[in-house]
Amino acid sequence: MTRNMNRLYLALAIIFALVYLFPLYWMYVTAIKSGSEIFSYPPTFVPTDPQWGVFAHVWEIRDMGRFIWNSLVIATGTMVLVATLGTGCAYVLARYRNGWINLALFLVLMLQVLPASLMVTPLFVGFSALGLLDYPRFAVILAVTAKAMPFFVILVRATFMAVPAELEEAALVDGNSRIGAFWSVVLPLARNGVLVSAILIFMQAFGEFVYSKSIIQDVSLQPASVGLNAFMGPNTVEWNNIMAYASIYVTPILAAFVLLQQRIVAGLTSGALK
Amino acid sequence: MRRIKSSIVDGVGFDLLLVGIPLVFLILFSGLPLLYNVLMSFQEVDLFSLGDVFRPFVGLDNYRALLAQPEFWPIMWNTVIFVTCSIGGQFLLGFALAVFFNTGFRGSTFIRGLFLVSWVMPGLVVGATWNWILAGDFGVLNYILDSLGLISKNIFWRSDIDYSLWAVVITNIWLGTAFNMILLSVGLAGIPKDLYEAASLDGATAFQQFWTITVPMMRSTTGAVICLGLIFTLQQFDLFAAITSGGPANSSNVAQYWAWELSFRQYDFARGAAISTIMIAFVMIASVFYVRSTRHEVRG
Repeated sequence: MTRNMNRLYLALAIIFALVYLFPLYWMYVTAIKSGSEIFSYPPTFVPTDPQWGVFAHVWEIRDMGRFIWNSLVIATGTMVLVATLGTGCAYVLARYRNGWINLALFLVLMLQVLPASLMVTPLFVGFSALGLLDYPRFAVILAVTAKAMPFFVILVRATFMAVPAELEEAALVDGNSRIGAFWSVVLPLARNGVLVSAILIFMQAFGEFVYSKSIIQDVSLQPASVGLNAFMGPNTVEWNNIMAYASIYVTPILAAFVLLQQRIVAGLTSGALK
Repeated sequence: MRRIKSSIVDGVGFDLLLVGIPLVFLILFSGLPLLYNVLMSFQEVDLFSLGDVFRPFVGLDNYRALLAQPEFWPIMWNTVIFVTCSIGGQFLLGFALAVFFNTGFRGSTFIRGLFLVSWVMPGLVVGATWNWILAGDFGVLNYILDSLGLISKNIFWRSDIDYSLWAVVITNIWLGTAFNMILLSVGLAGIPKDLYEAASLDGATAFQQFWTITVPMMRSTTGAVICLGLIFTLQQFDLFAAITSGGPANSSNVAQYWAWELSFRQYDFARGAAISTIMIAFVMIASVFYVRSTRHEVRG
């Protein structure tokens, strides 16, 4: 490819990316506009009088610290549970090939596709029978874990497939037990893939909505997604504040994503569809 | 006892334990609820019998009641439109972008990766942002369309029954395009480069190369991506909650949102379970196709 062609393509790519990411820009820009500027027509694409205090203001009036904390609790709990259960499962599914493994894989793939909004009815009724609704965040963690684990298993399995079996065999010959070989040889080699997949699960659980909305009735235990939903009444005019809320909520995720972008994309492309 | 212990530390027991616990977990919190859902759809459920397993059996009454509701067929039709248009839009845009980025200019990987932010954002944030973009009087989309001369008067995306479903479709296309593009990029990268070299030696134009090499070689990837698209689109709930809430007058309601509404707004868990069962059956069929299209993954 010639140099000029390269530049032309790069310029086009940047334009495409800017158009595609415009909604994100619009969210941040609306957040810092004043309450009257958001309703000016034609809309201003660069705010004339940026209101930087809006973030602290919204954080205060919507009690966002509590919402974000609940999101963190749910996301961390889900990530830990998914990684603990899913890593070993992915390892075994990657290590062997036989009818039983195929059956287990098929089961995992099928359970991946059940929509949360359809599964929430039986889960809610079941949890209420078990008394789990008294611990709503824990109930949500269980539900989200069941939803997210298959995806994690598929991604991490691809990572384990890339670890040469000879290394593990050598460790066994050297006198390691199965647990020892798994823990000190296989797992360290697959660490990156496991970490990236776990972070993806964290992001997914951090934004989870259906289960939290249906299962957690107590406002003080609800995560930020439910808080944002409650903030958006049907006739709201506070769009700058709502966008400020959304910005605060999404910025940590975006920052983590931009930092880890290449690894996430590599992890997705090796596991999701190969 | 010692044999069991040593088997767990150093034998088959280790594998069984590693794979067994997660599978039991999945069966408990995914498989059983699925069966429970089917059972519940044949029962009479009210708020007082929520905790019971055995409730009065009513046969197909819940399904009959559902079908008799005047909104049943419009909502099903909305679901079909939502699914086909979302998948079509996501796939075509994603494919075009994937082909563009596959030319491999410098910086392409980085910029392509940036597109994925739409996919990692919480659905509610995407919905809230688009809700504001699509606003009727002050929405920026109307302004842009108006400036381009495409519309003569503002479209009330969220409150006009002719447009409300499209508001969600547009947002969902935006949301899914990046993921489609990444998956399709994987397929494009897997096409051997020498095919294109041979074709261009034979004098094939870029257009001919696209139709005779790219499209046929992408057939299995396309199948998998479309099946995945179907699965993800039928899971889409957050955007409906954030943009239209299924309204006005059910004009943007789809099956997966309706199921939730029946259960958690009208507390009619039996009907919610019935519509869930119908939809889960559809998703299951799609996922069988998906698993088949990725069977080299499943069988190694």
